Amino acid sequence: MLALVTIVRLIPGVAAHLVTPVLAHHSFGVAFDVTKPVTVSGVITAIEWMNPHSHVYMEVKEKSGKVAKWKFEGYPPNVLSRTGWKKDVTIKVGDTITVFGWRARDGSNFAHLREVTLADGKHLYFGPPAGTGEGGAVAK
Amino acid sequence: MRTAGRVVGATLLAACVASACSTTREAPAQTGSAPRAQDGKPDLTGVYQTSARRGDWDFDVPGEEPGVPAARPAGTIAAVQRDPVPYQDWARVKAQEYLDRRSIDDPAAYCRPQSSPRMTPTGLFPIQFIQTPQQVAILYEYFWLFRVIPTDGRGHADDVDPSFMGDSVGRWDGDTLVVDVTNFKDGGWLAPGVFHSDALHLTERYTRVDHDQLNYEATVEDSKVFTAPWKIRVTLMLREKNRLREYSCMENNVDMQRYQEFVKNPSLFVRKPEGAR
Repeated sequence: MLALVTIVRLIPGVAAHLVTPVLAHHSFGVAFDVTKPVTVSGVITAIEWMNPHSHVYMEVKEKSGKVAKWKFEGYPPNVLSRTGWKKDVTIKVGDTITVFGWRARDGSNFAHLREVTLADGKHLYFGPPAGTGEGGAVAK
Repeated sequence: MRTAGRVVGATLLAACVASACSTTREAPAQTGSAPRAQDGKPDLTGVYQTSARRGDWDFDVPGEEPGVPAARPAGTIAAVQRDPVPYQDWARVKAQEYLDRRSIDDPAAYCRPQSSPRMTPTGLFPIQFIQTPQQVAILYEYFWLFRVIPTDGRGHADDVDPSFMGDSVGRWDGDTLVVDVTNFKDGGWLAPGVFHSDALHLTERYTRVDHDQLNYEATVEDSKVFTAPWKIRVTLMLREKNRLREYSCMENNVDMQRYQEFVKNPSLFVRKPEGAR
């Protein structure tokens, strides 16, 4: 049975005035909550390989037996292709994968997708780290 | 799963080493002098990525913990350094408001073009330089933007309206291309929360210090927002096997609709004072 697992984890900070060259089209923190990491295994039902964000849709069977529908958001196609992905090859509708990310603030089954574990155990990033694009907490 | 992850991580590491993956080893310190154009000027032509590492395309691979990159040697230089921003008092308050709203107001989220200091350190999106004796073109994959910078001695155009990326003119100062940029639209962002006005003035310096490395330094001035000039420094590395690809920000930008809903309920996302994320 596929399970829903949540793991609480802290994100290491970045040294002041050294800026990590990871770019996001929009702020992570507006929609997603870094205190709500989530790991989910399920079956892919649809893939949007699009700008400015790609999406993976999944069905996840919960412990109760109920099937939950999830949506995950990540890098655009150009970045995916440079980080080890190939459209229509690396993942396809019907594949079973495990994903790690951070849930939406509104509590819906929507999450920022950071890492995918494929059926063969290979790991790939599908999106940037948590916090990207927010600009930090203090204007400096 | 984590045991499997360690095995996979070791496999990836081995694969990267075998294929000279730049993410898992230090690149050589020097790789030859900067090439010269026929006119004797340094030739900036090439595709570059913001990075502290030489070699092939640079990106992170997952490590032992979910979402955390595999360890790799630190770069010998910082890829991006930014001075503290000397905001005027009112502007610091405004910038803090933007950050407290977690940059929901970022014009980039609405696919609006942004100016150079922001578009240069774009990490996973490369930029390309094309140089002739009369001009230098800079192509930005991110947002699919370009600039054409005359280097033939002409001054700023006097017949163009303010624009997102401003009006650029270049000149050579020894082996450094110096670009003066003015005539901006009001309201762009130089980084998340760091906004500028129509008084923005940039002095950019591009120096190809050797075959691989192109240093970028921008001096930022804006008499309406900042109290003094400040700088951002970026290291770009040549990526000879890479090329720019199409990026259409508006293809499926659902964020605009999503944000319109969010702003109706700021308590959902606005940063709370002490102890809140």
